[in-house]
Amino acid sequence: MAIIERPSSEVAIAGGSTIGVKPSEALGVFKRPVASTSWRDWIVTVDHKKLGIMYGVAAFFFFIVGGLEAVLIRMQLIAPNGKVLNADQYNQMFTMHATTMVFLFVMPMAAAFANYFVPLQIGARDVAFPRINAFGFWCFLFGGIFLNTAWFLGGAADGGWFMYAPNSSTLFSPSHGIDFWSMGLQITGIASLTGAINLIVTSLNMRAPGMKMMRMPIFTWMVLVVQFLLLFAIPVITVALFLLTFQRSFDATFFDVASGADPLLWQHLFWIFGHPEVYILILPSFGIVSEILPVFSKKPLFGYPIVALSGAAIGFVGWGVWAHHMFASGLGPVSVTVFSMATMAIAVPTGVKIVNWVMTMWGGKLQFTVPMLFAIALVVQFTIGGLSGVTHAVAPSDTQQTDTYYIVAHFHYVLFGGAIFGLFAGFYYWWPKMFRKQLSESLGRWNFWLMVVGMNMTFGPMHMLGLQGQPRRMSVWTEARAGEGFFNLGFWNRISSIGSLVLSLGVLLFIINVAYTHKSKKVAIAPLDPWDGRTLEWMTDSPPKEHNFDTIPTVNNLDEFFHRKYAQDGTTHEITQVATAEEVLAEMNSHPDEHIHMPSRSYWPILLALALPIIGYGLIYNRIILAVGVAMVVATMFGWAMEPSTAADDDFDPPAPGDGGGHTKELAPLG
Amino acid sequence: MKSSRRWSNISKPVLALSSLVAVAGCAEDAPQDTWQPAGPNAKMIDDLQRPIFYIAGIVGVIVFAAVAWAIFRFRDRGQAMPEQTHGKPALEVALTVIPVLILIGVSVPTVGTIFDLAKTDDTEMTINVTGQQWWWEYDYPAVGDNAEVYGISDPIVTAGQLVIPEDTKVLLRVTSRDVIHSYWIPKLNGKKDSVPGRVHLLRMEGSEPGIYAGQCTEFCGLSHAYMRMEAVVLSKADYATWVANQLEAYSSPSAGNVSAVEGEKLFLQQCARCHQVNGLLNADGTPNVAAPDQYVVSGAAPNLTNLMTRNTFAGASWDLLTPECRDDVWNATPGEFGEKYLAGVSEDCLNQKDLREWLRNAPEKKPMYADPTKLTETGGRYRGMPALGLTEDQISALVAYLLELK
Amino acid sequence: MADTAIAHDHDSDHGAHVTSTGLSNTKLGMWMFLGSECLLFGGLISTYMLYKGRVNSGPQPDQIFDIPFTSVSSFVLLMSSLTMVLAVSAAQRKDDRNTNLWLTITALLGATFVGGQVYEFTAFYREGLGFTTSLFGSSFYTLTGFHGVHVSVGIIMLMALVGMISRNRVPGNKAESVEMVGLYWHFVDIVWIVIFTLVYLIPS
Repeated sequence: MAIIERPSSEVAIAGGSTIGVKPSEALGVFKRPVASTSWRDWIVTVDHKKLGIMYGVAAFFFFIVGGLEAVLIRMQLIAPNGKVLNADQYNQMFTMHATTMVFLFVMPMAAAFANYFVPLQIGARDVAFPRINAFGFWCFLFGGIFLNTAWFLGGAADGGWFMYAPNSSTLFSPSHGIDFWSMGLQITGIASLTGAINLIVTSLNMRAPGMKMMRMPIFTWMVLVVQFLLLFAIPVITVALFLLTFQRSFDATFFDVASGADPLLWQHLFWIFGHPEVYILILPSFGIVSEILPVFSKKPLFGYPIVALSGAAIGFVGWGVWAHHMFASGLGPVSVTVFSMATMAIAVPTGVKIVNWVMTMWGGKLQFTVPMLFAIALVVQFTIGGLSGVTHAVAPSDTQQTDTYYIVAHFHYVLFGGAIFGLFAGFYYWWPKMFRKQLSESLGRWNFWLMVVGMNMTFGPMHMLGLQGQPRRMSVWTEARAGEGFFNLGFWNRISSIGSLVLSLGVLLFIINVAYTHKSKKVAIAPLDPWDGRTLEWMTDSPPKEHNFDTIPTVNNLDEFFHRKYAQDGTTHEITQVATAEEVLAEMNSHPDEHIHMPSRSYWPILLALALPIIGYGLIYNRIILAVGVAMVVATMFGWAMEPSTAADDDFDPPAPGDGGGHTKELAPLG
Repeated sequence: MKSSRRWSNISKPVLALSSLVAVAGCAEDAPQDTWQPAGPNAKMIDDLQRPIFYIAGIVGVIVFAAVAWAIFRFRDRGQAMPEQTHGKPALEVALTVIPVLILIGVSVPTVGTIFDLAKTDDTEMTINVTGQQWWWEYDYPAVGDNAEVYGISDPIVTAGQLVIPEDTKVLLRVTSRDVIHSYWIPKLNGKKDSVPGRVHLLRMEGSEPGIYAGQCTEFCGLSHAYMRMEAVVLSKADYATWVANQLEAYSSPSAGNVSAVEGEKLFLQQCARCHQVNGLLNADGTPNVAAPDQYVVSGAAPNLTNLMTRNTFAGASWDLLTPECRDDVWNATPGEFGEKYLAGVSEDCLNQKDLREWLRNAPEKKPMYADPTKLTETGGRYRGMPALGLTEDQISALVAYLLELK
Repeated sequence: MADTAIAHDHDSDHGAHVTSTGLSNTKLGMWMFLGSECLLFGGLISTYMLYKGRVNSGPQPDQIFDIPFTSVSSFVLLMSSLTMVLAVSAAQRKDDRNTNLWLTITALLGATFVGGQVYEFTAFYREGLGFTTSLFGSSFYTLTGFHGVHVSVGIIMLMALVGMISRNRVPGNKAESVEMVGLYWHFVDIVWIVIFTLVYLIPS
């Protein structure tokens, strides 16, 4: 049994009654929460796994919100001159749909997986800065809620997620929607930035002995690349959002054409952020499928170094292609050529990944579990999205396609067919690790097939719509531009709208599956290693203890866990299993680490994060609220600075003798 | 996608099949189809993108076949654990080089086309195109070849329809008065953003007389969906007729047309402060000069001189022609088109329904920022056209007057 | 700052955790943060460079800049980097008294700079350059204002550190905390050198 030197909540649970805790000394108005239980623990937790789960739950909530917005958009467009929404509502709807899906679902859902699994995959006990990690989560949650309160306070942002100037100025968008938008994104940006620093330091600095960079699981690799992208992309959008806020709230002139401003400044700033953002969205899912395909092909990832480095290459070249969003903006032919070529160049490392995934499956022993199905669907659907991407890397061709439904089709194949399918693959794959129960495979198949059919039915027809001239972001379409014949644009609009309902049904089945898995008594506890995993996160309990590993493993191989379970015969080259997961774990835990220190819980992260939306409301409505928010920031930062990351020893009473068994008590599964 | 005959020379059966599927799945005669070029600029883009779509299609089919084969061939049938191979460098290099070569192949014609489309020194005519919420203004300046070759001796200012001569390289100088819009006539060329404070150049050339539809493609606020445009290509002879007609001096409705005379007075009271009609005189005999900059954020309102020579209104969102008359013009053969178009809008052909609804309450028909109680940010100026509160009789008089504007 | 999960069996108070790179988590984190800050100032500086010549109303840059004055305040800020170095070296010698002395002097120099900036802003405002006067005005105040806020945050950090050292309440490793604040302080100084050169010295 590992010995944890400072008590944690498990001690309290283990004792059956709360062990007496001496309040932490005068570190502000609140006692330091050292051993809280129940829901309060979720408020003050700094455990990367709990934060990961909270990221996931909150992001999924926003996924449903964004999904309902999408369904409303499709219902509006099911017939010409739609009456479901008026033009104003429609404009808010597509703005918030994109904003929600990008900033409040895909990014934080990737953060959920990254938070939960990066420390486990590299054999660490937590992230580098646990309290900052908690702060990041609360920033995301409060920022997202703040953004959405605009719906009830005079209307949400209506300028599109790209928010081009000067349409974003108060002259053209007089409601407070865009103020909420810019400040809400500023707050979620803090979450991304702190998360990026945290995960970079974690994966560079806290790897288990022997876990060289080129032995890191590929998911961790992709997350690392993404965090570097965030690290450098977020400040650029921060600048843009500040300029916008200063323009709207303090009458600055940055986008005031009458003062000589150039509206293209916003576009450059936005897309310098916005294009790396695309890779921020997709690379975590690339990482997830690069974990799943080898596991269910029973083979290592084909060309691991090339996949890792091509991820880094995408991250690097991704900085040089932003203006391909601006081929129609009036750049000169030389710039257009440069960005057109750079965009084609980035297709190469992307293509390399697809080739390597196919080659991973090639010659394998494929098991078509639900995670594997989602992973294969990602490969196929992302290929379609990637190829349509190449057609608009060709700048002249793009001038016909940009801002039409062809682009909508393209990026939904990449982001829904790619990124979101990858996330769903991750749900099914890692669920037993996180919750000790396996999601139903049969419901999962229904979930999968409905989503595949729905996704292709919704977004496939959009290729036709776009190439035949239907622009995006139009609250209505007219029969006069729909053409003749049975397969006219009206037909494809109808198919697409019906497809969105099928897709919604698929997502609903996922929710049903989760409910069933956790409510039904028929679902048994999942085995320790249900998929015959290859990487470190499977080499500990499910769900892992708060300190993740009783013994920090020493890593000798890529796919360390696999190598501990299997051995190759020297002469026949036959691969046989030599140990079960349970045996590996027992062997590892026979010499548990002593002196494990875990960071202590804290109130400060949630309080500091809570101050930020208050500042936002203050800037929009009232200086007094603003002053309260600023005072809260100062006070909480002071409290935080004075609080050590680990509560002092004398904050605790010594554990009662003989309760050592409590140290390894597993956490209760969620739900 | 309609023009399947052009595809017949492709021999590969895969392509033929996929072409068939694509053709079967496409609308016939979609007015904004990007695959039916009707001018050399759009043709250049089309010639470039077709092979690229084929290449993309072939690559896609290869990848899908590989995935399908792997799924079929390597499913778990109880075979032994596969060899734990980490990759084959030679194969990986080869599979990287192939896409590089394909992309180099694609990039060469791409660069050529980019520069060809950006050429502006060989154009024969210049038109200023200005976007504003939510319509396009066309200004034909009386300079250079415009005046010398095409007879535009005075500037012509219109809205709704761009009118250009056949087989003529026209240079559009595209800009905006408020937010960013984008000018796009798919059958004639790709799009170009109209950005306030900047002038962007766009080549435009039509090879066959006819009407070509387009739509603003940069999100430009509330009524973005209702900001459409049409480009009209006329034979050179018809173009001369059109120019002469546009330059014809204004004459008030004849006294016999009581309703129209009433309408002119009403127009002067209600409409003329924003809408210019060249030659219209105030009651005191001075020329009326519209001052839309006092009432509208963008500072402009459509010039209605010769309104009835166009067959569309309100940002090309509604037709001035009844559906039958419209189809007659839109579907005319290139030979007959000019005559039918130049006939303008007659009383019989006038789309009374939409026009009257528009005059009755414009913001209800097309979403606009015209509620007088909500103009705080704009200093009382509208974005779009307000409701004028006209009676049905007044609307009838106005319609009678507008019919005279040609 | 000193918010580190302990990966291995070392006590944070003794510093020197075993990390994969050898750099401490806090230091690596600070470097990452400063890397991100480069892009923040990069964006602001680009905005200024684009707009500095665009003056539709109000004074031009060269009409209001007082180069000698700003040079002096820039020199003051540069000197504060020197005193910061002295503070760090005192902290590494575990010399609390001198650490506090040099930190206080650094903070005072920083405050002098900020005071100079406030004076400069008021002078410019009186000469007719408001925040909303022109693109030059908006982008000038935004860029230098952001920098001023960074210096001010640095001063708060310095003073907080002085307070914590004198009451011996520094959480974690004291010398490293001083070094972290020092890294930030030097970064802010370097950014000012760039801004001073691009904004004041190179004529528009």
